[in-house]
Amino acid sequence: MRQFRSMIYPYVVWLAIMVVVPMLLILLYAFTKEGNSVTTFRFTLENFTRFFSDAVFLDVLKRSLIIAIVTTILCVLLGYPIAYAIASGPEKSRMFWILMITMPTWINMLVRTYAWVGILQDDGLLNKLFGLFGLEPVKMMYTTFAVVLGMVYNFIPFMILQIHASLAKMDKSLLEAASDLGANRWQSFLRVTLPLSLPGVLSGITLVFLPAVSSFFIPKLLGGGQYVLIGNVIETQFLTSGDWNFGSAISLIMAIIIMLSMYFTRKVDTDPSANGRSE
Amino acid sequence: MKKLIQFKNIVKEFDGKLVLKGVNLDIYENEFVTLLGPSGCGKTTLLRILGGFLTQNEGEVLFDGQEISKVPPYKREINTVFQKYALFPNMNVYNNIAFGLKIKKEPKDIIEQKVKRMLKLVNLEDYADRSVTEMSGGQQQRVAIARALVNEPSVLLLDEPLGALDLKLRQEMQHELKKIQKEVGITFIFVTHDQEEALTMSDKIVVMKDGEIQQIGTPTDIYNEPVNEFVANFIGESNIIEGVMLQDKVVMFEGRKFDCVDEGFAENEVVDVVIRPEDLDIVPREAGKLKGVVKSVLFKGVHYETMVETKVGTEITVQMQVSDDRPVHNEAANEKISANDFYLDVEDIEELDEATIIARADAQAWNPEEDELISIKEVQYTIKKENGTYPVTFSTAAGTSVTVNMIVKDENRIISQENEEQIFAVNFFKKVDEIQESIALETDLKTWANASAWSLDGEQAVEITDVKYDFDPEHITPGTYAVTFATKGYEYKIDTTDKHEVGEEVGLTFTPEDIHIMSRAQ
Amino acid sequence: MEPRKSFWKKALLWLTALFFYLPIVYIIVFSFNDSRSLTKFSGFSLRWYEKMFSDSSMMESVVYTIVIAVLATIISTIAGTLAAIGLSRSRRMLRSVVEQVNNLPVMNPEIVTAIGLLMFFSALGIDKGFLTLLLAHIMFCTPYVMLSVSPKLRSLDPNLADAALDLGATPLQALTKVIVPQIMPGIVSGALIAFTMSFDDFIISYFVTGNGVNNISIMVYTMSKRVNPSINALSTLVIAIITVVLLIVNIAPILKEKRRKKV
Repeated sequence: MRQFRSMIYPYVVWLAIMVVVPMLLILLYAFTKEGNSVTTFRFTLENFTRFFSDAVFLDVLKRSLIIAIVTTILCVLLGYPIAYAIASGPEKSRMFWILMITMPTWINMLVRTYAWVGILQDDGLLNKLFGLFGLEPVKMMYTTFAVVLGMVYNFIPFMILQIHASLAKMDKSLLEAASDLGANRWQSFLRVTLPLSLPGVLSGITLVFLPAVSSFFIPKLLGGGQYVLIGNVIETQFLTSGDWNFGSAISLIMAIIIMLSMYFTRKVDTDPSANGRSE
Repeated sequence: MKKLIQFKNIVKEFDGKLVLKGVNLDIYENEFVTLLGPSGCGKTTLLRILGGFLTQNEGEVLFDGQEISKVPPYKREINTVFQKYALFPNMNVYNNIAFGLKIKKEPKDIIEQKVKRMLKLVNLEDYADRSVTEMSGGQQQRVAIARALVNEPSVLLLDEPLGALDLKLRQEMQHELKKIQKEVGITFIFVTHDQEEALTMSDKIVVMKDGEIQQIGTPTDIYNEPVNEFVANFIGESNIIEGVMLQDKVVMFEGRKFDCVDEGFAENEVVDVVIRPEDLDIVPREAGKLKGVVKSVLFKGVHYETMVETKVGTEITVQMQVSDDRPVHNEAANEKISANDFYLDVEDIEELDEATIIARADAQAWNPEEDELISIKEVQYTIKKENGTYPVTFSTAAGTSVTVNMIVKDENRIISQENEEQIFAVNFFKKVDEIQESIALETDLKTWANASAWSLDGEQAVEITDVKYDFDPEHITPGTYAVTFATKGYEYKIDTTDKHEVGEEVGLTFTPEDIHIMSRAQ
Repeated sequence: MEPRKSFWKKALLWLTALFFYLPIVYIIVFSFNDSRSLTKFSGFSLRWYEKMFSDSSMMESVVYTIVIAVLATIISTIAGTLAAIGLSRSRRMLRSVVEQVNNLPVMNPEIVTAIGLLMFFSALGIDKGFLTLLLAHIMFCTPYVMLSVSPKLRSLDPNLADAALDLGATPLQALTKVIVPQIMPGIVSGALIAFTMSFDDFIISYFVTGNGVNNISIMVYTMSKRVNPSINALSTLVIAIITVVLLIVNIAPILKEKRRKKV
């Protein structure tokens, strides 16, 4: 079987060029100054000091993190019961609902986000619905609510699928065992189902938090031109102001924040103290 | 002893399939009861009904005199050791065992005390903090037992708990389980398909098949006095022979009278006679109550499993005419073609097609230089459904052809009323090199002779187990040879400590006590 | 299960479905609206479709999207399958390195990958346009193909290829006649993922393209700054294409099975 081994080498070269080099370029640009030509650069931390000393940027960072965290929490709180409802059904209905949840994700995110514009307008579908109940129209477009809604809408399928996968993987006889040992349904859920589905929740959290924190078209479409998150700042640096060094530095900061949060999530997952003889 | 559990006419169906067909069973206090049977016999279903994980469609389950069908599992005084243990992977050994006690909100110090005692009982004192996912199968098994027993149930259910362990460990755990049961003194209900496990551990065995109980009894009862063929075969190995009860303590089989110890059968009742392999002895031919020929010997470690045939099956002998005809050589096309005459049964003519003719005539065309087969494009023949000789011509695309004869003869069959079977075969023609080149001669001989055996009504195929011939295939010369095909005869399985040679003529002996008579009426 | 509980579960699931599908249905309905309004349906018309089909830049973007998606799918499926097979035979060291690097585009925010590629192409002096777009799509599609093929390879009997070679097959024959048919389901689902990833991609395409080469997503993004109901028509077109692709991929095996049964 060695003969097929060599088939990996062209791909290794491709990976080095198309994946590793661009990453290194971001690093290089983030720590240098003086334009886009390779010959005149010098090493500096200026880009980072500029970011951390400007209240405007720090505000944007704070807002991005808060929105991403709120989105993630909402996705867990809504996604868990949905995943649980799917997983507890019979095989056929499980397949059906998984398909129902997966199908929208195959459709362009941008299109699906844009679709909310009409619904959230002042005289849109949602406000008309409120009107039926005699409620005053609420301004929803171009608010934080619209941005968070757009993010939850786009990212919650990842959460549901991850949690469902871990619930479906769970050995059903564990619940029988818990019941056999005297636990009622609620106790079985708290002591067995919930802890065993935690890995799914955690990987769902990474899958939601990561795009939420870096998103830039959702705030633009649903939050309006004035609604700036960290992704929008990066976009501006690259496509409008042309300051690639500063833009690279901001993406690096963002990437590090994401990596740190992933690291902590993983740590909770494998924390041995969660398995200790506590209580 | 007090009746602890009563199953009353339990019926259970899944998707319209009856899994339990009205089971009645009483289980007493402090018993080690084994539900034994092949997979799909309903033993696990019965256990899960008792555990509360399934509800029966009909019937009652009484526990200590109380109907418990509506009681959820977590309120039953019964605990289960699950098939694959179902240990909680998110908890360590200690927390797995303490689970039930924590649910009951027992004080911490009591929990610790009880768990420690259990760990000691199952020999896992040093493993309290271990993660259950890092343990071996045997250790996980012990944790599962401890986790169930710590709740002090009155009954412990064990669902094939040893199935996942290897042989050595399984035997160890059998003794261990028996020991634990004696020590804690509660009822164990154990489900298995392994008869050896059942015989080793149980006070009482319940043999099940197709949702029905076949026999209930102690291991010795069930082994020595199986009530029917199924039990006899399932518990240990058996020779089962059809016989006739002439009077009390006299049975006739294989055309001879034998003394036995069974009585209470009707005069001339047709019965099944069971003789266990270890109860038969091989002796010199003259000293044997039955005479036969050793057919095969298998070394089983402790003993040899020797098969002795006392009566051959249905036999048929046909003639094989061997020639050294040369193939037809078409030099222009550089092709050779060969085929041989063959016999046909009148009955076969209706289903005759080109592929069959090519196979029966062994028609082949090839390129002699490259030794590559060439496909036969055309088969020309006419045939009528009566005895006679009909020519058939095979040709290739290049026009190389050979003509041979199909000889239709009345059916060549032997019917044995006694064995309730019939066997067919026809004479055939072969060439020397075909016999020499055959890599599976017995199979080829069956194909060439078109040999087959059937039940009398022609519904069921019977295997032809013997192909006998007395030529040397390597050095065969043209001529006529007899080939005999036979079905399986009466065979006895005997456990011996001495090795016998295949083909040896021997006698078999046994005492009246070795014979068990089973009624045929179920 | 008690019926009351299962009622709440059902209600929750159908509400979820409503949440997911309402916007999609909404956009399809309003693509047939007679007026410009996104909120008032004033009558059925095909004017926005007419407008879309006569707008050359919109139609160009549709063609680019399809051409790029088809090319990227073909190339990344072949490359990803070969690489996955090679990877499954590689030494553990190399395998773990490749898997890690492969995961970078999957686990990194897309915008980071996008700016990396943007700077990379400009450092090499490649003009932004069709070529950069295609290269970028191949780059982010291939890992998904590998992720989908690798599990099938792992579950393959490791002796399968050896058996084929033992029976006289050349390595190429062993590959095409034995290994590839076995992992076909993985390859097909990998290709499907690659197609939809490429077809739907916005962020990376947005950063690496230029010189008037746009795909549908970029079109929608740039047009969405003003109310323009042609977007609805374009979006409906996107939904229709993806739905057709999904239907073909899901129904083709069923039809094949039926035909096989008939024979």
